[in-house]
Amino acid sequence: MFQIFKSVIKAGWTNFKRNSYLSAAATGVISLALLLFLGLLSLQFVTNEIVVSLQDKVDISAYFKTDTAEEQILEVKSDLTARADIENVNYVSRAQALEEFKKKHEDDPLIQESLAQLDDNPLAASLNIKTKHTSQYASIVQFLENSKFKENIDKINFYENRTVIDRIERLSSSVRTWGLTAALMLALIAVLVTFNTVRLTIYNQKQEIEIMRLVGASNWHIRGPYLAEGGFYGLFAALISMAVFYPIVYLVSDKITQLVETINLASYFSQGFLEVLAIISGLGIVLGVASSFIAIRKHLKI
Amino acid sequence: MIEFKKVKKVYEPNDVVLNNINLEIKKGEFVSLVGLSGAGKSTLMKMLTKEEMPTSGKVLVDGIDIAEIPGKEIPYYRRTIGTVYQDFKLLPSKTAYENVAFAMEMSDATPEEIEKDVPQILNIVGLGDKLNSFPNQLSGGEKQRLAIARALIHRPKILLADEPTGNLDLVNGYDVVKLLLKINELGTTVILATHDTNIVNSIGRRVISIDKGKIVKDQLENGRYMI
Repeated sequence: MFQIFKSVIKAGWTNFKRNSYLSAAATGVISLALLLFLGLLSLQFVTNEIVVSLQDKVDISAYFKTDTAEEQILEVKSDLTARADIENVNYVSRAQALEEFKKKHEDDPLIQESLAQLDDNPLAASLNIKTKHTSQYASIVQFLENSKFKENIDKINFYENRTVIDRIERLSSSVRTWGLTAALMLALIAVLVTFNTVRLTIYNQKQEIEIMRLVGASNWHIRGPYLAEGGFYGLFAALISMAVFYPIVYLVSDKITQLVETINLASYFSQGFLEVLAIISGLGIVLGVASSFIAIRKHLKI
Repeated sequence: MIEFKKVKKVYEPNDVVLNNINLEIKKGEFVSLVGLSGAGKSTLMKMLTKEEMPTSGKVLVDGIDIAEIPGKEIPYYRRTIGTVYQDFKLLPSKTAYENVAFAMEMSDATPEEIEKDVPQILNIVGLGDKLNSFPNQLSGGEKQRLAIARALIHRPKILLADEPTGNLDLVNGYDVVKLLLKINELGTTVILATHDTNIVNSIGRRVISIDKGKIVKDQLENGRYMI
């Protein structure tokens, strides 16, 4: 069994070398398909990171009326913290708020002056709330508006943030849907083009297949070397696309980091190098072998 | 033993290629099938490899009706029949050695057997020094001898040669025929289809003449080319 496998692989390799022109064409097409796939993978990664970093920046704040007792606010805080959809709740007391406000505007003498003239602290205490998912903010707002302390809540800035939150929601879900659709379309096109190239290769060897049948070759004997050849297309295509893709990643990575600080394409792909190599090789080989398999079927009728 | 029983072959709509062929060829015979181009010689041979099926009638080899061999078994059946063609039908991308080795690989021969048998058979047909030549580097006669080597590698019971000298000059043609006679002496049934008068007359064995799909003459011994 191993012996047969070895001789089939050897025959496939010999075919691959001798049909160098067609091998190059088929390998090229699969390389392009794999490169497109890798490109899509990076696009998916970048948009995902952007969405996550935007989501990170979104929170809502509930401002309490200045006469609300601190215990009441802390009670609301502990109520909120108990909920499963809450990431964290941050209490900012009136004094802290004033401190931060002063710090923020320390270069502005006019504000400093006007603050100094005030007897009382004009700022409200607030709870900064962050949920695990942006879609959960609406229910938090509802929760606050229905709580027993609703009288004490001055305002919730959710409505101001709502458009931003909604937009991120839509962006992330459409990136996911369209990314997936594009990936499927590309995969389909890749299969069709690869299949067609391999079919041309095999059409070129129609006479050889006829002769193989005449000397008593069984269908698997005929098919084996072509499948192996298809596998070699895929394997070499995978190596080529990796060799093209990684340098590009390192070149582009810096520029993307300049745009969005949290994204490091280079480290993402170099950490997962072996995984990417395995996936791309596997994908290439499956693509090559499957294309050969379909392309040769037609010639196997006795 | 080969038997044709009332074999008829009609290509649609009504082109009768073979008409009521009754024929018996014994084991170890050397038979020349003669006739003009289009007489039906090749069709008759193709029925033996199941490339063509009779429209009616039966073809039996060693008592087995060829029509009853299932598709899966055909490759195994074909290994018991060697075939040689006018256009050689060699694999152009394989060397002389590989062309023969390939036929052996089909029958799951081990690498040791292949390494032993292939040079031996190429020596027999006189190509011992051309192992690594590709078909386009060989002369017509050498190509045909290579094709014969390939046909012999399975030690077939029957060797079918369809116009094997058609593309060869006189000297090379005689060489090929001599080789076929030698193979026949070793016990293989040989069926040679040809329209070359000189070659048929020089062989002096059984000659079957076919014309317009019918057997018109069957000379069992010392036959001459006649239609």
